[in-house]
Amino acid sequence: MSSSSSSSLPPCPKKMITLKSSDGETFQIEETAALQSKTLENMIDENCASTPIPLRSINGKILAKVVEFCNKHAEVGVDAESLHAWDAEFVNVEYTTLFDYILAANFLEIPTLLDLASGVVGDMIKGKTPDEIRKMFNINDAFSPEEEEEVRRANQWAFE
Amino acid sequence: MDDLISDLPQSILESILTRLPIRDAVKTSILSRKWRYKWASITELVFDDECVSSSHDGNAVEQSLVKFITRSLFLHLGPIHKFQVSTCYLQSCPDIDQWILFLSRNSDVRELILKLGEDEWVRLPSCLFSCKKLTHLELSCCELDPPPQFKGFSCLRSLSLHRVLVAANEIENLIWNCPLLENLALSYLDDSLAITIRAPNLKYLYLEGDFTDIFLENTPLLLTLSVVMYMADDAAEHLELEQSSNCNFVKVLTRVPRLVSLAGRAYFAKYLSIGDDPGPLLITFDHLKIIELFEVSFEDIKEVLVLLRLITSSPNLEEFWISAGASTLPAEAPDCLDIWERECPVDWTFKQLKVVKMTDVNGIPHEMDLIKFLLGSSPVLKTMTISHSTYFKHDRMDMLIELLRFRRASSEAEIIFLQE
Repeated sequence: MSSSSSSSLPPCPKKMITLKSSDGETFQIEETAALQSKTLENMIDENCASTPIPLRSINGKILAKVVEFCNKHAEVGVDAESLHAWDAEFVNVEYTTLFDYILAANFLEIPTLLDLASGVVGDMIKGKTPDEIRKMFNINDAFSPEEEEEVRRANQWAFE
Repeated sequence: MDDLISDLPQSILESILTRLPIRDAVKTSILSRKWRYKWASITELVFDDECVSSSHDGNAVEQSLVKFITRSLFLHLGPIHKFQVSTCYLQSCPDIDQWILFLSRNSDVRELILKLGEDEWVRLPSCLFSCKKLTHLELSCCELDPPPQFKGFSCLRSLSLHRVLVAANEIENLIWNCPLLENLALSYLDDSLAITIRAPNLKYLYLEGDFTDIFLENTPLLLTLSVVMYMADDAAEHLELEQSSNCNFVKVLTRVPRLVSLAGRAYFAKYLSIGDDPGPLLITFDHLKIIELFEVSFEDIKEVLVLLRLITSSPNLEEFWISAGASTLPAEAPDCLDIWERECPVDWTFKQLKVVKMTDVNGIPHEMDLIKFLLGSSPVLKTMTISHSTYFKHDRMDMLIELLRFRRASSEAEIIFLQE
Protein backbone atom coordinates (compact mmCIF):
# COMPACT_ATOMS: atom_id res chain seq x y z
CA MET A 1 0.00 0.00 0.00
CA SER A 2 2.99 2.35 0.29
CA SER A 3 2.95 5.19 -2.22
CA SER A 4 5.98 5.93 -4.35
CA SER A 5 6.71 9.24 -2.63
CA SER A 6 6.90 7.78 0.90
CA SER A 7 8.99 4.78 -0.10
CA SER A 8 11.64 7.00 -1.70
CA LEU A 9 12.18 9.04 1.50
CA PRO A 10 15.13 8.04 3.72
CA PRO A 11 14.14 6.51 7.09
CA CYS A 12 13.24 9.23 9.57
CA PRO A 13 16.19 9.81 11.97
CA LYS A 14 15.33 9.19 15.59
CA LYS A 15 14.64 12.45 17.35
CA MET A 16 16.63 12.75 20.56
CA ILE A 17 16.25 15.15 23.45
CA THR A 18 18.76 15.91 26.17
CA LEU A 19 18.06 15.93 29.90
CA LYS A 20 20.38 17.49 32.46
CA SER A 21 20.43 16.26 36.06
CA SER A 22 20.84 18.40 39.21
CA ASP A 23 24.52 17.41 39.37
CA GLY A 24 25.19 18.39 35.77
CA GLU A 25 25.13 14.98 34.03
CA THR A 26 23.44 14.89 30.65
CA PHE A 27 21.33 12.07 29.24
CA GLN A 28 20.04 11.49 25.72
CA ILE A 29 16.60 10.00 25.34
CA GLU A 30 14.55 9.29 22.26
CA GLU A 31 11.57 11.56 21.93
CA THR A 32 9.20 8.59 21.60
CA ALA A 33 10.43 7.23 24.97
CA ALA A 34 10.31 10.68 26.59
CA LEU A 35 6.63 11.05 25.70
CA GLN A 36 5.73 8.79 28.62
CA SER A 37 6.45 11.81 30.77
CA LYS A 38 3.62 14.33 30.54
CA THR A 39 6.01 17.06 31.71
CA LEU A 40 8.45 16.33 28.88
CA GLU A 41 5.59 15.88 26.41
CA ASN A 42 4.38 19.39 27.19
CA MET A 43 7.89 20.78 26.71
CA ILE A 44 8.25 18.95 23.40
CA ASP A 45 4.85 20.27 22.28
CA GLU A 46 5.89 23.80 23.16
CA ASN A 47 9.21 23.43 21.33
CA CYS A 48 11.19 23.84 24.54
CA ALA A 49 13.09 20.59 24.10
CA SER A 50 15.69 21.63 21.53
CA THR A 51 18.22 22.59 24.23
CA PRO A 52 19.16 20.38 27.24
CA ILE A 53 16.28 20.35 29.72
CA PRO A 54 17.50 21.06 33.26
CA LEU A 55 15.89 18.85 35.92
CA ARG A 56 17.01 20.47 39.16
CA SER A 57 15.28 18.05 41.50
CA ILE A 58 16.64 14.81 40.02
CA ASN A 59 20.26 13.68 40.43
CA GLY A 60 22.24 11.80 37.81
CA LYS A 61 21.96 8.40 39.46
CA ILE A 62 18.16 8.54 39.59
CA LEU A 63 17.76 10.20 36.19
CA ALA A 64 19.80 7.39 34.60
CA LYS A 65 17.35 4.87 36.05
CA VAL A 66 14.31 6.90 34.96
CA VAL A 67 15.67 7.09 31.40
CA GLU A 68 16.28 3.33 31.51
CA PHE A 69 12.67 2.81 32.65
CA CYS A 70 11.24 4.98 29.86
CA ASN A 71 13.40 3.24 27.23
CA LYS A 72 12.26 -0.17 28.39
CA HIS A 73 8.61 0.83 28.38
CA ALA A 74 8.93 2.32 24.88
CA GLU A 75 10.42 -0.87 23.42
CA VAL A 76 8.15 -2.56 20.95
CA GLY A 77 7.38 -6.24 21.06
CA VAL A 78 7.99 -6.80 24.79
CA ASP A 79 5.36 -9.18 26.15
CA ALA A 80 3.47 -8.22 29.28
CA GLU A 81 4.94 -11.03 31.36
CA SER A 82 8.59 -10.22 30.75
CA LEU A 83 7.92 -6.50 31.24
CA HIS A 84 6.28 -7.33 34.54
CA ALA A 85 9.36 -9.30 35.61
CA TRP A 86 11.61 -6.44 34.48
CA ASP A 87 9.52 -3.94 36.48
CA ALA A 88 9.70 -6.11 39.60
CA GLU A 89 13.49 -6.17 39.32
CA PHE A 90 13.60 -2.42 38.66
CA VAL A 91 11.88 -1.56 41.94
CA ASN A 92 13.79 -4.15 43.94
CA VAL A 93 15.83 -1.38 45.62
CA GLU A 94 16.35 0.33 48.98
CA TYR A 95 13.23 2.21 49.98
CA THR A 96 15.11 5.52 49.94
CA THR A 97 15.79 4.97 46.22
CA LEU A 98 12.16 4.01 45.81
CA PHE A 99 11.11 7.41 47.19
CA ASP A 100 13.52 9.06 44.76
CA TYR A 101 11.80 7.21 41.91
CA ILE A 102 8.43 8.32 43.23
CA LEU A 103 9.46 11.97 43.45
CA ALA A 104 11.04 11.87 40.00
CA ALA A 105 7.97 10.14 38.52
CA ASN A 106 5.75 12.71 40.22
CA PHE A 107 7.79 15.64 38.90
CA LEU A 108 8.07 14.25 35.39
CA GLU A 109 4.49 12.91 35.50
CA ILE A 110 5.21 9.35 34.46
CA PRO A 111 2.10 7.49 35.66
CA THR A 112 3.45 3.98 34.97
CA LEU A 113 6.50 4.54 37.16
CA LEU A 114 4.51 6.34 39.85
CA ASP A 115 2.00 3.49 40.01
CA LEU A 116 4.72 0.87 40.09
CA ALA A 117 6.75 2.49 42.88
CA SER A 118 3.69 3.51 44.95
CA GLY A 119 2.47 -0.06 44.72
CA VAL A 120 5.72 -1.32 46.22
CA VAL A 121 5.51 1.16 49.12
CA GLY A 122 1.89 0.09 49.61
CA ASP A 123 3.00 -3.54 49.77
CA MET A 124 5.57 -2.60 52.42
CA ILE A 125 2.85 -1.07 54.62
CA LYS A 126 0.22 -3.76 54.06
CA GLY A 127 -0.46 -5.95 57.08
CA LYS A 128 2.14 -4.27 59.33
CA THR A 129 1.48 -2.93 62.82
CA PRO A 130 1.77 0.85 63.39
CA ASP A 131 5.04 0.28 65.27
CA GLU A 132 6.54 -1.71 62.45
CA ILE A 133 5.56 0.98 59.93
CA ARG A 134 6.96 3.80 62.11
CA LYS A 135 10.22 1.92 62.47
CA MET A 136 10.48 1.07 58.78
CA PHE A 137 10.08 4.68 57.64
CA ASN A 138 11.46 6.51 60.74
CA ILE A 139 8.19 8.21 61.47
CA ASN A 140 8.96 10.21 64.62
CA ASP A 141 6.17 12.60 65.57
CA ALA A 142 4.17 9.83 67.24
CA PHE A 143 1.17 10.66 69.40
CA SER A 144 1.34 10.70 73.16
CA PRO A 145 -0.34 7.62 74.63
CA GLU A 146 -3.43 9.72 75.48
CA GLU A 147 -3.65 11.12 71.95
CA GLU A 148 -3.14 7.71 70.44
CA GLU A 149 -5.99 6.41 72.58
CA GLU A 150 -8.23 9.17 71.23
CA VAL A 151 -7.38 8.38 67.61
CA ARG A 152 -7.91 4.70 68.24
CA ARG A 153 -11.29 5.41 69.80
CA ALA A 154 -12.36 7.59 66.86
CA ASN A 155 -11.35 4.93 64.37
CA GLN A 156 -12.34 1.95 66.48
CA TRP A 157 -14.43 0.54 63.60
CA ALA A 158 -11.26 0.01 61.57
CA PHE A 159 -9.30 -1.60 64.37
CA GLU A 160 -11.93 -4.12 65.43
CA MET B 1 17.87 8.65 59.07
CA ASP B 2 15.10 11.04 58.08
CA ASP B 3 11.41 10.36 57.79
CA LEU B 4 11.10 10.37 54.01
CA ILE B 5 7.50 9.31 53.71
CA SER B 6 5.47 11.67 55.91
CA ASP B 7 6.28 14.81 53.91
CA LEU B 8 5.63 13.39 50.49
CA PRO B 9 3.10 15.52 48.59
CA GLN B 10 -0.50 14.54 49.38
CA SER B 11 -1.08 13.37 45.80
CA ILE B 12 1.75 10.83 46.15
CA LEU B 13 0.60 9.66 49.56
CA GLU B 14 -2.86 9.21 48.10
CA SER B 15 -1.44 7.12 45.32
CA ILE B 16 0.29 4.94 47.95
CA LEU B 17 -2.73 4.76 50.26
CA THR B 18 -5.04 3.91 47.35
CA ARG B 19 -2.98 0.80 46.75
CA LEU B 20 -3.57 -0.44 50.29
CA PRO B 21 -6.65 -2.33 51.39
CA ILE B 22 -8.82 0.45 52.84
CA ARG B 23 -8.61 -1.01 56.32
CA ASP B 24 -4.82 -0.64 56.27
CA ALA B 25 -5.21 2.86 54.86
CA VAL B 26 -7.52 3.92 57.72
CA LYS B 27 -5.14 2.39 60.23
CA THR B 28 -2.36 4.73 59.10
CA SER B 29 -4.28 7.43 61.02
CA ILE B 30 -2.54 6.20 64.15
CA LEU B 31 1.02 6.46 62.82
CA SER B 32 1.59 10.10 63.76
CA ARG B 33 0.01 13.54 63.87
CA LYS B 34 0.82 14.13 60.21
CA TRP B 35 -0.86 10.88 59.25
CA ARG B 36 -4.06 11.30 61.21
CA TYR B 37 -6.26 12.47 58.32
CA LYS B 38 -4.14 11.58 55.33
CA TRP B 39 -6.23 8.55 54.44
CA ALA B 40 -9.42 10.60 54.58
CA SER B 41 -8.90 12.29 51.24
CA ILE B 42 -8.15 9.28 49.10
CA THR B 43 -10.42 9.48 46.07
CA GLU B 44 -10.90 5.75 45.57
CA LEU B 45 -12.86 3.83 48.20
CA VAL B 46 -12.90 0.09 47.73
CA PHE B 47 -14.70 -2.01 50.35
CA ASP B 48 -14.80 -5.76 50.59
CA ASP B 49 -15.04 -8.52 53.19
CA GLU B 50 -11.39 -7.91 54.14
CA CYS B 51 -12.47 -4.64 55.78
CA VAL B 52 -13.82 -6.52 58.76
CA SER B 53 -12.70 -9.47 60.83
CA SER B 54 -13.99 -12.72 59.49
CA SER B 55 -16.64 -14.52 61.49
CA HIS B 56 -18.97 -17.44 61.08
CA ASP B 57 -21.85 -15.17 61.90
CA GLY B 58 -22.94 -13.61 58.61
CA ASN B 59 -25.11 -11.02 60.35
CA ALA B 60 -22.21 -9.82 62.47
CA VAL B 61 -20.02 -9.45 59.38
CA GLU B 62 -22.77 -7.56 57.61
CA GLN B 63 -23.21 -5.16 60.52
CA SER B 64 -19.49 -4.53 60.89
CA LEU B 65 -19.18 -3.91 57.18
CA VAL B 66 -22.11 -1.49 57.12
CA LYS B 67 -20.55 0.36 60.05
CA PHE B 68 -17.14 0.42 58.38
CA ILE B 69 -18.47 1.85 55.11
CA THR B 70 -20.75 4.39 56.78
CA ARG B 71 -17.96 5.66 59.09
CA SER B 72 -15.50 5.86 56.22
CA LEU B 73 -17.88 8.02 54.20
CA PHE B 74 -18.65 10.12 57.27
CA LEU B 75 -14.97 10.88 57.89
CA HIS B 76 -14.06 11.23 54.24
CA LEU B 77 -12.90 14.57 52.94
CA GLY B 78 -13.17 15.87 49.37
CA PRO B 79 -14.13 14.24 46.10
CA ILE B 80 -14.76 10.51 45.69
CA HIS B 81 -13.97 9.27 42.20
CA LYS B 82 -14.45 5.60 42.79
CA PHE B 83 -16.76 3.74 45.14
CA GLN B 84 -16.76 -0.03 45.19
CA VAL B 85 -18.45 -2.54 47.47
CA SER B 86 -17.81 -6.23 46.83
CA THR B 87 -19.31 -8.59 49.38
CA CYS B 88 -21.65 -11.49 49.62
CA TYR B 89 -22.79 -10.53 53.13
CA LEU B 90 -24.76 -7.41 52.36
CA GLN B 91 -28.52 -7.67 51.96
CA SER B 92 -31.01 -4.93 51.17
CA CYS B 93 -30.63 -2.25 53.82
CA PRO B 94 -31.37 1.46 54.06
CA ASP B 95 -27.63 2.10 54.44
CA ILE B 96 -27.00 1.20 50.79
CA ASP B 97 -29.56 3.81 49.71
CA GLN B 98 -27.88 6.38 51.94
CA TRP B 99 -24.41 5.66 50.56
CA ILE B 100 -25.67 6.10 47.03
CA LEU B 101 -27.50 9.27 47.99
CA PHE B 102 -24.27 10.57 49.54
CA LEU B 103 -22.37 9.70 46.37
CA SER B 104 -24.96 11.25 44.08
CA ARG B 105 -24.57 14.51 46.01
CA ASN B 106 -20.81 14.19 45.70
CA SER B 107 -20.98 15.12 42.05
CA ASP B 108 -17.56 13.71 41.23
CA VAL B 109 -18.19 9.99 41.44
CA ARG B 110 -17.00 8.38 38.21
CA GLU B 111 -16.73 4.71 39.00
CA LEU B 112 -19.44 2.87 40.88
CA ILE B 113 -19.13 -0.84 41.48
CA LEU B 114 -21.57 -2.84 43.57
CA LYS B 115 -21.13 -6.58 43.69
CA LEU B 116 -23.57 -7.84 46.26
CA GLY B 117 -24.68 -11.17 47.65
CA GLU B 118 -26.31 -13.72 45.36
CA ASP B 119 -29.21 -14.44 47.71
CA GLU B 120 -31.41 -11.59 46.66
CA TRP B 121 -31.67 -8.60 44.39
CA VAL B 122 -30.92 -5.35 46.13
CA ARG B 123 -33.18 -2.64 44.79
CA LEU B 124 -31.10 0.46 44.10
CA PRO B 125 -32.48 3.93 44.80
CA SER B 126 -33.37 6.22 41.93
CA CYS B 127 -30.72 8.75 43.03
CA LEU B 128 -28.19 6.39 41.40
CA PHE B 129 -29.38 7.83 38.11
CA SER B 130 -28.36 11.34 39.10
CA CYS B 131 -24.66 10.41 39.28
CA LYS B 132 -24.08 12.37 36.12
CA LYS B 133 -20.33 11.96 35.85
CA LEU B 134 -20.25 8.18 35.93
CA THR B 135 -17.83 6.69 33.41
CA HIS B 136 -17.88 3.15 34.79
CA LEU B 137 -20.87 1.35 36.29
CA GLU B 138 -20.72 -2.25 37.37
CA LEU B 139 -23.60 -3.89 39.23
CA SER B 140 -24.36 -7.40 40.27
CA CYS B 141 -27.36 -8.81 42.08
CA CYS B 142 -29.25 -5.54 42.00
CA GLU B 143 -32.62 -4.40 40.79
CA LEU B 144 -32.80 -1.33 38.61
CA ASP B 145 -35.73 0.83 37.71
CA PRO B 146 -34.65 4.03 35.97
CA PRO B 147 -37.01 6.94 36.73
CA PRO B 148 -39.01 8.32 33.79
CA GLN B 149 -37.06 11.57 33.81
CA PHE B 150 -33.71 9.76 33.46
CA LYS B 151 -31.92 11.07 30.39
CA GLY B 152 -28.94 8.74 30.34
CA PHE B 153 -25.35 8.78 31.60
CA SER B 154 -23.69 11.13 29.16
CA CYS B 155 -20.11 10.20 30.21
CA LEU B 156 -20.52 6.46 30.73
CA ARG B 157 -17.96 4.38 28.83
CA SER B 158 -18.23 1.05 30.57
CA LEU B 159 -21.35 -0.76 31.79
CA SER B 160 -21.46 -4.20 33.31
CA LEU B 161 -24.64 -5.79 34.62
CA HIS B 162 -24.55 -9.26 36.15
CA ARG B 163 -27.69 -10.84 37.55
CA VAL B 164 -29.47 -7.52 37.43
CA LEU B 165 -33.21 -7.34 37.43
CA VAL B 166 -34.29 -4.77 34.87
CA ALA B 167 -36.99 -4.66 32.21
CA ALA B 168 -35.78 -5.45 28.67
CA ASN B 169 -36.90 -2.11 27.25
CA GLU B 170 -35.25 -0.28 30.18
CA ILE B 171 -31.93 -1.94 29.54
CA GLU B 172 -32.14 -1.13 25.83
CA ASN B 173 -32.97 2.49 26.62
CA LEU B 174 -30.19 2.68 29.17
CA ILE B 175 -27.65 1.48 26.58
CA TRP B 176 -29.01 3.82 23.93
CA ASN B 177 -28.87 6.76 26.35
CA CYS B 178 -25.17 6.34 27.06
CA PRO B 179 -23.77 7.80 23.86
CA LEU B 180 -20.09 7.24 24.72
CA LEU B 181 -20.48 3.61 25.77
CA GLU B 182 -17.49 1.53 24.61
CA ASN B 183 -17.60 -1.49 26.85
CA LEU B 184 -20.75 -3.48 27.64
CA ALA B 185 -21.13 -6.74 29.53
CA LEU B 186 -24.51 -8.28 30.27
CA SER B 187 -24.74 -11.60 32.02
CA TYR B 188 -27.58 -13.62 33.53
CA LEU B 189 -30.00 -10.75 33.33
CA ASP B 190 -33.28 -12.55 33.54
CA ASP B 191 -35.23 -15.32 31.89
CA SER B 192 -35.06 -15.52 28.11
CA LEU B 193 -34.39 -12.14 26.66
CA ALA B 194 -34.26 -10.91 23.08
CA ILE B 195 -31.92 -7.95 23.19
CA THR B 196 -31.44 -5.07 20.80
CA ILE B 197 -28.23 -3.13 21.17
CA ARG B 198 -27.84 0.32 19.74
CA ALA B 199 -24.53 1.82 20.79
CA PRO B 200 -22.68 3.72 18.09
CA ASN B 201 -19.37 3.85 20.00
CA LEU B 202 -19.39 0.32 21.39
CA LYS B 203 -16.08 -1.52 21.02
CA TYR B 204 -16.35 -4.50 23.39
CA LEU B 205 -19.49 -6.55 23.92
CA TYR B 206 -19.86 -9.54 26.24
CA LEU B 207 -23.15 -11.36 26.51
CA GLU B 208 -23.77 -14.38 28.68
CA GLY B 209 -27.02 -16.04 29.54
CA ASP B 210 -30.35 -17.06 28.20
CA PHE B 211 -30.64 -14.71 25.20
CA THR B 212 -33.25 -15.82 22.69
CA ASP B 213 -32.17 -13.33 20.09
CA ILE B 214 -29.51 -10.69 19.56
CA PHE B 215 -29.99 -7.64 17.40
CA LEU B 216 -26.95 -5.46 16.84
CA GLU B 217 -28.65 -2.47 15.31
CA ASN B 218 -26.15 0.31 15.56
CA THR B 219 -22.74 -1.01 16.54
CA PRO B 220 -20.49 -0.08 13.64
CA LEU B 221 -17.31 0.22 15.72
CA LEU B 222 -17.48 -3.10 17.56
CA LEU B 223 -14.06 -4.77 17.87
CA THR B 224 -14.71 -7.67 20.20
CA LEU B 225 -17.85 -9.78 20.41
CA SER B 226 -18.03 -12.53 22.96
CA VAL B 227 -21.22 -14.50 23.50
CA VAL B 228 -22.02 -17.37 25.82
CA MET B 229 -25.52 -18.33 24.94
CA TYR B 230 -27.65 -20.78 26.86
CA MET B 231 -30.84 -22.17 25.51
CA ALA B 232 -33.06 -25.11 26.33
CA ASP B 233 -33.06 -27.69 23.54
CA ASP B 234 -36.75 -27.35 22.91
CA ALA B 235 -36.41 -23.58 22.77
CA ALA B 236 -33.73 -23.96 20.11
CA GLU B 237 -35.95 -26.19 18.00
CA HIS B 238 -38.83 -23.84 18.48
CA LEU B 239 -36.71 -20.93 17.27
CA GLU B 240 -35.64 -22.89 14.24
CA LEU B 241 -39.23 -23.41 13.21
CA GLU B 242 -40.10 -19.81 13.84
CA GLN B 243 -37.34 -18.20 11.81
CA SER B 244 -36.83 -20.12 8.64
CA SER B 245 -35.68 -17.39 6.32
CA ASN B 246 -33.56 -14.71 7.96
CA CYS B 247 -30.26 -16.31 8.93
CA ASN B 248 -28.97 -15.27 12.34
CA PHE B 249 -25.41 -15.39 11.07
CA VAL B 250 -26.15 -12.65 8.57
CA LYS B 251 -28.30 -10.74 11.02
CA VAL B 252 -25.68 -10.59 13.76
CA LEU B 253 -22.34 -10.54 12.02
CA THR B 254 -22.85 -8.41 8.95
CA ARG B 255 -23.55 -5.44 11.21
CA VAL B 256 -20.06 -5.50 12.70
CA PRO B 257 -17.64 -4.99 9.82
CA ARG B 258 -14.69 -3.95 12.00
CA LEU B 259 -14.73 -6.96 14.27
CA VAL B 260 -11.26 -8.06 15.39
CA SER B 261 -12.15 -10.86 17.77
CA LEU B 262 -15.15 -13.17 17.87
CA ALA B 263 -15.79 -15.71 20.61
CA GLY B 264 -18.86 -17.88 20.93
CA ARG B 265 -19.68 -20.58 23.45
CA ALA B 266 -22.48 -22.95 24.29
CA TYR B 267 -25.39 -22.42 21.89
CA PHE B 268 -23.91 -19.52 19.96
CA ALA B 269 -22.77 -21.58 16.94
CA LYS B 270 -26.17 -23.23 16.87
CA TYR B 271 -27.88 -19.86 17.15
CA LEU B 272 -25.87 -18.46 14.24
CA SER B 273 -26.86 -21.40 12.06
CA ILE B 274 -30.60 -20.88 12.47
CA GLY B 275 -32.22 -19.74 9.22
CA ASP B 276 -31.45 -20.45 5.58
CA ASP B 277 -27.87 -20.76 4.35
CA PRO B 278 -26.98 -17.27 3.15
CA GLY B 279 -24.59 -18.52 0.45
CA PRO B 280 -21.23 -16.81 0.01
CA LEU B 281 -21.26 -13.57 1.99
CA LEU B 282 -21.22 -10.19 0.36
CA ILE B 283 -18.91 -8.70 2.99
CA THR B 284 -15.50 -9.77 4.22
CA PHE B 285 -14.28 -9.39 7.77
CA ASP B 286 -10.98 -7.78 6.90
CA HIS B 287 -10.12 -6.97 10.50
CA LEU B 288 -11.06 -10.27 12.08
CA LYS B 289 -7.94 -11.84 13.59
CA ILE B 290 -9.20 -14.18 16.27
CA ILE B 291 -12.10 -16.61 16.15
CA GLU B 292 -12.95 -18.87 19.07
CA LEU B 293 -15.98 -21.05 18.58
CA PHE B 294 -16.84 -23.66 21.14
CA GLU B 295 -19.28 -26.50 21.08
CA VAL B 296 -19.74 -26.50 17.33
CA SER B 297 -21.67 -29.52 16.19
CA PHE B 298 -19.84 -30.98 13.19
CA GLU B 299 -22.73 -33.37 12.61
CA ASP B 300 -25.10 -30.49 11.95
CA ILE B 301 -24.58 -29.42 8.35
CA LYS B 302 -25.99 -25.94 9.05
CA GLU B 303 -23.42 -25.25 11.73
CA VAL B 304 -20.66 -26.56 9.48
CA LEU B 305 -21.85 -24.23 6.72
CA VAL B 306 -21.89 -21.23 9.05
CA LEU B 307 -18.36 -22.05 10.12
CA LEU B 308 -17.29 -22.37 6.51
CA ARG B 309 -18.92 -19.07 5.54
CA LEU B 310 -17.34 -17.34 8.50
CA ILE B 311 -13.76 -18.43 7.95
CA THR B 312 -13.89 -17.99 4.19
CA SER B 313 -14.95 -14.38 4.79
CA SER B 314 -12.04 -13.73 7.15
CA PRO B 315 -8.94 -13.43 4.96
CA ASN B 316 -6.74 -12.00 7.71
CA LEU B 317 -7.46 -14.53 10.42
CA GLU B 318 -4.44 -15.14 12.70
CA GLU B 319 -5.75 -17.44 15.40
CA PHE B 320 -8.52 -19.97 15.18
CA TRP B 321 -9.73 -22.02 18.13
CA ILE B 322 -12.60 -24.40 17.72
CA SER B 323 -14.05 -27.07 19.93
CA ALA B 324 -16.51 -29.66 18.77
CA GLY B 325 -19.63 -30.30 20.75
CA ALA B 326 -21.63 -33.43 21.23
CA SER B 327 -24.50 -33.67 18.82
CA THR B 328 -27.68 -35.64 19.00
CA LEU B 329 -28.32 -35.43 15.28
CA PRO B 330 -27.69 -38.49 13.10
CA ALA B 331 -24.72 -38.28 10.77
CA GLU B 332 -25.51 -36.46 7.55
CA ALA B 333 -26.21 -38.24 4.31
CA PRO B 334 -23.04 -38.64 2.21
CA ASP B 335 -24.10 -36.05 -0.37
CA CYS B 336 -23.36 -33.25 2.10
CA LEU B 337 -19.82 -34.38 2.64
CA ASP B 338 -18.46 -32.53 -0.35
CA ILE B 339 -19.45 -29.05 0.87
CA TRP B 340 -15.84 -28.19 1.67
CA GLU B 341 -14.88 -28.79 -1.94
CA ARG B 342 -18.07 -27.32 -3.30
CA GLU B 343 -18.45 -24.21 -1.17
CA CYS B 344 -14.92 -23.03 -0.39
CA PRO B 345 -13.69 -20.34 -2.75
CA VAL B 346 -11.11 -21.67 -5.21
CA ASP B 347 -7.52 -20.66 -4.32
CA TRP B 348 -8.57 -19.35 -0.90
CA THR B 349 -5.61 -18.58 1.35
CA PHE B 350 -5.38 -17.57 5.00
CA LYS B 351 -2.49 -15.17 4.56
CA GLN B 352 -2.00 -14.62 8.31
CA LEU B 353 -3.23 -17.76 10.00
CA LYS B 354 -0.53 -18.93 12.41
CA VAL B 355 -2.22 -20.81 15.21
CA VAL B 356 -5.05 -23.33 15.07
CA LYS B 357 -6.38 -25.18 18.08
CA MET B 358 -9.02 -27.85 17.76
CA THR B 359 -10.30 -29.54 20.85
CA ASP B 360 -12.81 -32.31 21.51
CA VAL B 361 -12.31 -33.64 17.99
CA ASN B 362 -14.26 -36.82 17.18
CA GLY B 363 -12.55 -37.57 13.88
CA ILE B 364 -15.79 -37.36 11.87
CA PRO B 365 -15.69 -36.34 8.19
CA HIS B 366 -16.48 -32.62 8.52
CA GLU B 367 -13.81 -32.19 11.16
CA MET B 368 -11.24 -33.92 8.98
CA ASP B 369 -12.30 -31.81 6.00
CA LEU B 370 -11.87 -28.63 8.05
CA ILE B 371 -8.38 -29.73 9.10
CA LYS B 372 -7.53 -30.57 5.49
CA PHE B 373 -8.82 -27.20 4.30
CA LEU B 374 -6.91 -25.25 6.95
CA LEU B 375 -3.64 -27.13 6.36
CA GLY B 376 -3.94 -26.74 2.60
CA SER B 377 -4.69 -23.03 2.59
CA SER B 378 -2.55 -21.55 5.39
CA PRO B 379 0.96 -20.83 4.06
CA VAL B 380 2.29 -19.29 7.31
CA LEU B 381 0.73 -21.75 9.76
CA LYS B 382 3.01 -22.43 12.73
CA THR B 383 1.08 -24.83 14.94
CA MET B 384 -2.08 -26.83 14.74
CA THR B 385 -2.97 -28.45 18.05
CA ILE B 386 -5.53 -31.21 17.99
CA SER B 387 -6.97 -32.94 20.99
CA HIS B 388 -9.67 -35.55 20.73
CA SER B 389 -12.82 -35.80 22.74
CA THR B 390 -13.32 -38.31 25.49
CA TYR B 391 -16.01 -39.90 23.35
CA PHE B 392 -13.59 -40.44 20.49
CA LYS B 393 -15.34 -42.95 18.26
CA HIS B 394 -12.72 -43.73 15.66
CA ASP B 395 -9.42 -45.49 15.65
CA ARG B 396 -6.79 -42.96 16.60
CA MET B 397 -4.28 -44.52 14.22
CA ASP B 398 -6.69 -44.17 11.28
CA MET B 399 -7.13 -40.51 12.07
CA LEU B 400 -3.38 -39.94 12.27
CA ILE B 401 -2.78 -41.75 8.97
CA GLU B 402 -5.40 -39.56 7.32
CA LEU B 403 -3.87 -36.43 8.89
CA LEU B 404 -0.41 -37.30 7.58
CA ARG B 405 -1.67 -37.41 4.01
CA PHE B 406 -3.07 -33.86 4.04
CA ARG B 407 -1.15 -31.38 1.96
CA ARG B 408 0.39 -28.60 4.05
CA ALA B 409 0.74 -25.16 2.49
CA SER B 410 3.17 -24.16 5.22
CA SER B 411 6.47 -25.99 5.46
CA GLU B 412 6.79 -24.69 9.03
CA ALA B 413 3.51 -26.10 10.25
CA GLU B 414 3.80 -28.33 13.27
CA ILE B 415 0.91 -30.61 14.11
CA ILE B 416 0.62 -31.36 17.79
CA PHE B 417 -1.68 -34.23 18.61
CA LEU B 418 -2.50 -34.25 22.29
CA GLN B 419 -3.18 -37.64 23.76
CA GLU B 420 -5.16 -36.56 26.79
